[in-house]
Amino acid sequence: MVHVYNCHPFASQQIVQVGQEPGLVCCGGGALFVVATGGCKVESYSLEREGCPLICRFATMGTVKSIQHSKIGDYLVTIEEKNSATYLRAYTNWRYQAEEKSRVGVRLLGHLLRGASVGGGVQMEIIEIPLSERPVAVACCPITGDLLVGCENTLVLFTLKTQNQQNLSQQNLQSSWSSTQQNSSQGQTSSQHLSILDFERCVIFHLPKMTPKQVALCGGYVAVQAELEVLVLKLETVSELKTLEESSDTNKSADCVDEQIDFLLIPRHQELLGDRAKDCDLPVSIEKTGLEDRRQYSLSYVLFRRFSPEFFQGCSVEETQLHSLQLYPLYTSNQSVSADDPACMFCFFSLPTAGYLYSLKGGVEPLSTYQYPEKVLEAVLTDHLLHVITKSALQCFTVRCAAVAARIEDPYIDTTMRACPPGNLEVCALRMQLFIGLRSVCVYGRHVILLSTADTEVPDEPERSTQRRGLGRKWTMSSAKETSPAGHGWNIYVVDTVSPFTLYQEMDEYSQRYVETNPQAQSHRHLLSEAHLLLRASLVQMSRQQQDRGGEAAAPPQRDADGPPDNDCSAETTRQELDEAFRHNCALLGDSFSRGSQKDCHLALPYYRMSGLSITEIMSRNRPHPSSPHSFGPGFLFYLKHFLLEETDQTLSQEAADEIVHIFSQSEPSMLVSVCASPAMSHVSPDRTLQILQRLEDTASVSVPMTIAMATMVLRLDDLPQYTQLMERHAEMMLVYGFIEEPRLLLHGGGGGHNTHVRPTALSRQLASSQPGLLVAAMVALHENNKVQLEQADHLFKELSCANSLQVDFWEAMLMASSQDAVIQELLFRLSSVYIDRLTNSDTHSSLTQTTPRRRSLKSADDLISSCSHYGALYPWLTLLSAAHTTSPQHQEALHKLQSLLCGPSLSVGSVVPLLERLSEETMWGFSLHLLCTTRRGQYGSSIEKLLDRCPQAIIAFANHQLQDEHMPLWWQKLLPELCKRTRASPDNSILLAALKETLVVVAMEMSPAEFLELIPDDGAASYFLPHLMTCTQRHLLAN
Amino acid sequence: MTTKTSLLKVILLGDGGVGKSSIMNRYVTNKFDAHLFHTIGVEFLNKDLEVDGHQVTLQIWDTAGQERFRSLRTPFYRGSDCCLLTFSVDDNQSFLNLGNWKKEFIYYADVKEPEKFPFVVLGNKLDVTERQVSSEEAQQWCQENGDYPYYETSAKDATNVAVAFEEAVRRVLAMDERTDHLIPTDTVKLHRKPRSATTCCS
Repeated sequence: MVHVYNCHPFASQQIVQVGQEPGLVCCGGGALFVVATGGCKVESYSLEREGCPLICRFATMGTVKSIQHSKIGDYLVTIEEKNSATYLRAYTNWRYQAEEKSRVGVRLLGHLLRGASVGGGVQMEIIEIPLSERPVAVACCPITGDLLVGCENTLVLFTLKTQNQQNLSQQNLQSSWSSTQQNSSQGQTSSQHLSILDFERCVIFHLPKMTPKQVALCGGYVAVQAELEVLVLKLETVSELKTLEESSDTNKSADCVDEQIDFLLIPRHQELLGDRAKDCDLPVSIEKTGLEDRRQYSLSYVLFRRFSPEFFQGCSVEETQLHSLQLYPLYTSNQSVSADDPACMFCFFSLPTAGYLYSLKGGVEPLSTYQYPEKVLEAVLTDHLLHVITKSALQCFTVRCAAVAARIEDPYIDTTMRACPPGNLEVCALRMQLFIGLRSVCVYGRHVILLSTADTEVPDEPERSTQRRGLGRKWTMSSAKETSPAGHGWNIYVVDTVSPFTLYQEMDEYSQRYVETNPQAQSHRHLLSEAHLLLRASLVQMSRQQQDRGGEAAAPPQRDADGPPDNDCSAETTRQELDEAFRHNCALLGDSFSRGSQKDCHLALPYYRMSGLSITEIMSRNRPHPSSPHSFGPGFLFYLKHFLLEETDQTLSQEAADEIVHIFSQSEPSMLVSVCASPAMSHVSPDRTLQILQRLEDTASVSVPMTIAMATMVLRLDDLPQYTQLMERHAEMMLVYGFIEEPRLLLHGGGGGHNTHVRPTALSRQLASSQPGLLVAAMVALHENNKVQLEQADHLFKELSCANSLQVDFWEAMLMASSQDAVIQELLFRLSSVYIDRLTNSDTHSSLTQTTPRRRSLKSADDLISSCSHYGALYPWLTLLSAAHTTSPQHQEALHKLQSLLCGPSLSVGSVVPLLERLSEETMWGFSLHLLCTTRRGQYGSSIEKLLDRCPQAIIAFANHQLQDEHMPLWWQKLLPELCKRTRASPDNSILLAALKETLVVVAMEMSPAEFLELIPDDGAASYFLPHLMTCTQRHLLAN
Repeated sequence: MTTKTSLLKVILLGDGGVGKSSIMNRYVTNKFDAHLFHTIGVEFLNKDLEVDGHQVTLQIWDTAGQERFRSLRTPFYRGSDCCLLTFSVDDNQSFLNLGNWKKEFIYYADVKEPEKFPFVVLGNKLDVTERQVSSEEAQQWCQENGDYPYYETSAKDATNVAVAFEEAVRRVLAMDERTDHLIPTDTVKLHRKPRSATTCCS
């Protein structure tokens, strides 16, 4: 469907004063080129000055059949005929032909004389480009100035070569420079960077099964159009050579198809996008011809479209021919001027009845189909409009290029952050302008140039007179200087289009009138989307202009040639105005989606975001009329939910918060708990909300989060008894589930991941004092359900200013619950250091810091040992070590917890050794920890020595527990010799003797008699050892 | 109704320094510069004129006479409607070379019927006092080579320059089979004028 809007895309019109009947017209570089009918003369007129004055006039070498201007290099290329031969020529330095009698240089392609300069200074030059086949169509690349020539079955690509004249003619520097200045002072500013152009034949495309009618070239994309086929290829330079073989393969396969071609009378309709286009049965091979060109080229298929002649009704088969092939680059606003590669590339072509626009980059896709109301002769695509001419009218359609560009530029489009109307949005036709006998159209910036010739051969007088009347009536804005209408039947019109911003303003006005009559209509939204895309086009245009202005001093002014004369756009519209309009339009689109149906209602959110409106402004825009039964739209609720669920710093006023509670109680009561838990809602009036929640609870079933939400409100009312009563309605476990369901009842912030700080809610503070166990359990549950990060939980407990108690409880509880190894190791380390801190603190300031009695831990050491696998049972020998020492219960507990961790399986002892260094070994408990460490690290030898030094009564208990299995030999290798040594030194030490005896018992059990004999010290009393030797021998005999 | 214009390509050939560029300049801009640079390659100028009621655009091609520019000029012989073979009356060698120029032209221009192609011979620098080539010698060469019209010109004094070009146009237009130059084909029969070539410099 094509929407038709009565907007005025045209601002003014003037008539170019041409002397002779124009045959061909083209434009570029700020100039309009007119070739007289059948003549060999080109006249150029300035499109940038009022009244389009003549710039210059120059002769061609033959009858011009086709003419194109290249903005890069500022050259014209023609296909000419003379004496039935066809020639291809490029006209350079044409601006120096202001004086018509200047001599024109002619040279062959590639015959540029190095070092030899023309004596007369800058001179217009014609480059003759010889071709082995007859040229049919030409195209110039707007990015590189390269030239593509379509011949009967080939395309020839010429690269543009530029050489600076100063470099070329060193010896003539003086004279040529002065003449350059002279010439440039005649009004040609572009000659400052004068360079000599030449072309090099670079690649030939062989298309044995296609007969080109039109070609297009842009940034490596090559488009070729036959009568009913369009093929787009991409030529890229590659390092490896592989593609040529492939293409020769396709050549072979093509030959066998050739035989059948006589039977394929009517080709079927086909559209092949991207890689699939290679299945189009049109073989293409490339032949490299550049002499000095060492690059390798690869060719890929991009797009193929074939129409069957009978596909279109209303046009005769003869008339059904493609035309207006165009490749169109678009740079986004954040692309630098020097970037050669445009962000977007579009391909347009047209049948008399319909036009087709494709986007080629980032996946080939059809963008729009333009259904024309009548037979279209020619069409030209620009940034924001498609201009088409029929025999009697100029018509504009909107284009979707800006939607594609916006998406390439901004990856956040189509998220909840930002939006843009879709690229496949239905196009619309704007007001048309009537003319008589239109022949051709071309566009330069905002100027649409039309050639009309009243066809005297066709007797359609009555029709024509009505058209003329129509023209007079509608054409009120015309500033045309009427030339004598009877003088000749032809005219060249320059019709200026309005800037996209002006068109936007008209659409905006139009939409305002529209909304009064039918606000919900789909067309209203379409109109707003249309306007939105116009603004985006303006923004892109403006930032490119600003960039061009900024970069002009540095870069040669090459690129500006295409999008030039919108200076007035920037003059009348400032960036600020555009941004303002953009926000306004986004707000209207937001409104449209917020009130509309369920479909696409989520778009209200990004559009409202882009509008920059505050939530209160958006709420007031969505307030229903008191009289109307109309309720809140799904898009508005979606927006509100997102606003409330996402973390914002914005806290709403009480009025706004109350209104939101009201809105949700009306429209979506199930959301109320979440809504109330939002940090933005912290000013909501507690009693009103409590009433609403109570009413809701009465109608729906009781839910835990609802109860907690109510408790929060009651807490704000300072009604502690009711608070307690509410909290006691559910078991603690149920409350924990409630917090998992709605974590924001406990904490705010933290939605943005790791680094965002969380804040405790009033409820958390209350829980910390009244139900710390519940708070810890809830936080553990939140962590284990990935609702909160460990750091965030730490931060929360710090905020609750109970860092040393509840936080440690939380860690201990986490150790019990968590299964993530990284978290466990981190917690083990933290807890060890906390325990060590506690031990040192209570030790050094024993009675001094006890002024603030610490709350008891939620879990005792015994609780932890019994319920948490990471806490090990205390080794039996430890009790012998700590028995003598008396300390405070807190100290004792910290010691036990630390010992238990050291006895447990998980703590990596190496990591806590540095921490333990702070503890002295003087006290027995300190010694016990160090000993635990050395033992855990496997240093049994030194442990045995230390233990014998400090507490020999524990040695047997230690040995029994630790020296087992592979450590068994230590009994006789270390312990026995050590004990022997020590008893020798103090023979009366009963503890040592008892230990020796125990040791001998164990050794005798484990060793052979011979080995045992070896161990007995030489100075020992035989009677002392004999019983043990006996035991050993007997056991050994029995065993054998 | 606008008059249809025909474009005629007239090419000036001859040794370097005989005054081809000066002849062209004199004819088109009516100026003379004694210190003109050597022409490099090929240049042309257009001149609109009316001959016998016909609007004609004369495209005058000036070529580089020096041997070293041969490859730059020869590709552009093709499509010529008339060739002006030029020598300098004070340089016998340039006269002797006329035959070579004619041969070069016929070869590169790919002329179908060389005997019918309109050549015009110009003896330039008439203003110089020390002649090396006599009028009779020149006329005899013209007679023997195909009855070409011969003009003695002086670009410096503007003698006979316009007359010579007008004759060239007449020669072209007079050829019956060349009417296809007129675009479109609203041909008008021309009155054959008696040749005045020999009378002008007697």
